[in-house]
Amino acid sequence: MTMPSPFTLCIVAIVALGALGLPIGHSMIAASILYLLLSGLDLGTAAEQILNGLFNSYVLLAIPLFILAADLMNVGSLTDRLLQFCLVLVGRFRGGLGHVNVVANMIFAGMSGSAIADAVGIGRIIIGMMTKDGRYPVAYAGAITASAAIIGPIIPPSIPMVLYALISDTSIGYLFLGGFVPGIMLGIAFMVTNATIARRRNYPVEPPIPAREIPRITMRAFPALMLPVILLFGIYGGVMTPTEGAAAAAFYALFASTVLYRAVTWRQLYDALLTSGKATTSIGMLIAGAMVFNYVVTIENIPASLASMMSGQAFSPLMFLLAVNVILLVLGCLLEGSTILLVVVPIFIPTAKALGIDLVHFGVVVVVNIMIGLLTPPYGLLLFVLANMTKQPLGAIVREALPFILMSILVLAIITVVPDSILWLPRLWGYKG
Amino acid sequence: MQSKLTRLGHWLQRRAENVAVTLLCVMFATFIVQIFARYVLNKPVGWSEEVIITTWLWTVLWGAAFILRESEEIRFDIIYSAVSERTRRVFTVLTGIALVVLYGISLPAAYQYVSFMKVERSAYLRIPINWLYCVFIIFSVACICRYCWLSYRAIKGAKPPETDPARLPE
Repeated sequence: MTMPSPFTLCIVAIVALGALGLPIGHSMIAASILYLLLSGLDLGTAAEQILNGLFNSYVLLAIPLFILAADLMNVGSLTDRLLQFCLVLVGRFRGGLGHVNVVANMIFAGMSGSAIADAVGIGRIIIGMMTKDGRYPVAYAGAITASAAIIGPIIPPSIPMVLYALISDTSIGYLFLGGFVPGIMLGIAFMVTNATIARRRNYPVEPPIPAREIPRITMRAFPALMLPVILLFGIYGGVMTPTEGAAAAAFYALFASTVLYRAVTWRQLYDALLTSGKATTSIGMLIAGAMVFNYVVTIENIPASLASMMSGQAFSPLMFLLAVNVILLVLGCLLEGSTILLVVVPIFIPTAKALGIDLVHFGVVVVVNIMIGLLTPPYGLLLFVLANMTKQPLGAIVREALPFILMSILVLAIITVVPDSILWLPRLWGYKG
Repeated sequence: MQSKLTRLGHWLQRRAENVAVTLLCVMFATFIVQIFARYVLNKPVGWSEEVIITTWLWTVLWGAAFILRESEEIRFDIIYSAVSERTRRVFTVLTGIALVVLYGISLPAAYQYVSFMKVERSAYLRIPINWLYCVFIIFSVACICRYCWLSYRAIKGAKPPETDPARLPE
């Protein structure tokens, strides 16, 4: 009997340690050390890869800043004011608060890069509004909040897209632009779903807001509405890099909630910073683990051999994309999104390149797919967050979320088959792909 | 005695959190200075990127060592949360031993790498790189201690760490 190769043992170790409940970042680091040990390489390589990797990836700095911006907006009253404004826009249709939920998430998506932060920030308020006097079933309110939150990282800015840019060497700016159309498509799809369900179940219409109130509500929301404008003009006017844009967004959120709205105490500010610090750390550990593990994968030449194997087969780009989508949707039911993005997706990238698939197209498809994974049971982070927030059983939320999940898979299928739906906007900005 | 130790633990935990929040504040403030210098004063400063990237490195590794609670880590917990408490304790001990052994074996090599980096200095501030990188050693030692403690508690029969996916950041 031959001894299994160090790489096989490394994979076994990651799966075993991870399945037994060790945090994924630590599992990857520990298993990679095992690999170095078995193949007789320098054990200091693990430290070297983590330290140099973190020290040289300046683009990653956008992550803590986008997390901070979202947290600051949630402690300030920006979210409340935005929801009031959305009520003016779409409250008067049947199922009005459902539409408010989706539209607020689309606008919010233009400021924050994190689906969880959006779900928590918007959900905290709108679920109360929706379930007051039993107007909507609690599970439905939770389900639509969870579903609408996936738009957050698809419409720019987006933390998963920053991670994808890191692993694929594509431009963050073009990836962000590529997310606009799919994000809006999802918003429309969710509003259609909400309208259909609302008509069938006779959900309420919001009392119309008197016309003389509208300017006041708009003015109150104005500073919040300016944030996406500043951010996007900054980045696409060529003034700032996306990372600096993230810093400017966080600074603006701080300025708006402290100076303009005066809604933040020192204690809240400290807590927001601490929450952001923790979020940064836990995602940073995953990145650190992925850096060592991807080094191992590169030594073993896995992505390249997969690429040559795949391009040797008569595999059309479309078949490859569909296969990747199915694999990622299945993985999305079991694993957390950033893990898939940092560990599994790098293996596919060389093949995608070899098959002539545009990497911006591929990236946006992958991000949309992984966001749907936040909604699919048994392991869907957004489901957990909303089940926890609404005190509903997970199953009830899943049942109500099902039509939304199906609609988002439909959107995913369209953007997979029609690359132009993603690429025309980046091309308008000079993307040559 | 026990309660004094626990209090000391909590006190240290809060100080570690103070450090993490300070790091984040420094990062944020330096970013603002950088943007202001580049776009308003038209005099870009070089040192800012170095400060920012250093605070990022330290936030991640310092935070992972001291401020992240067990319930806040990203993990695959479908199996872990489905088994009995006793089995979960066995899991904790097994993974704890694996981590302590592997991190322990690689610690001398990591220390060697970090101290070797004293030959290099950062581009702008001329700080020896081993100073910037020493946080990795702090991180490794803290993880080894932490997982020794977790395994010890699990063997002693204490409740294994809870997982709460709803409180995870993305």
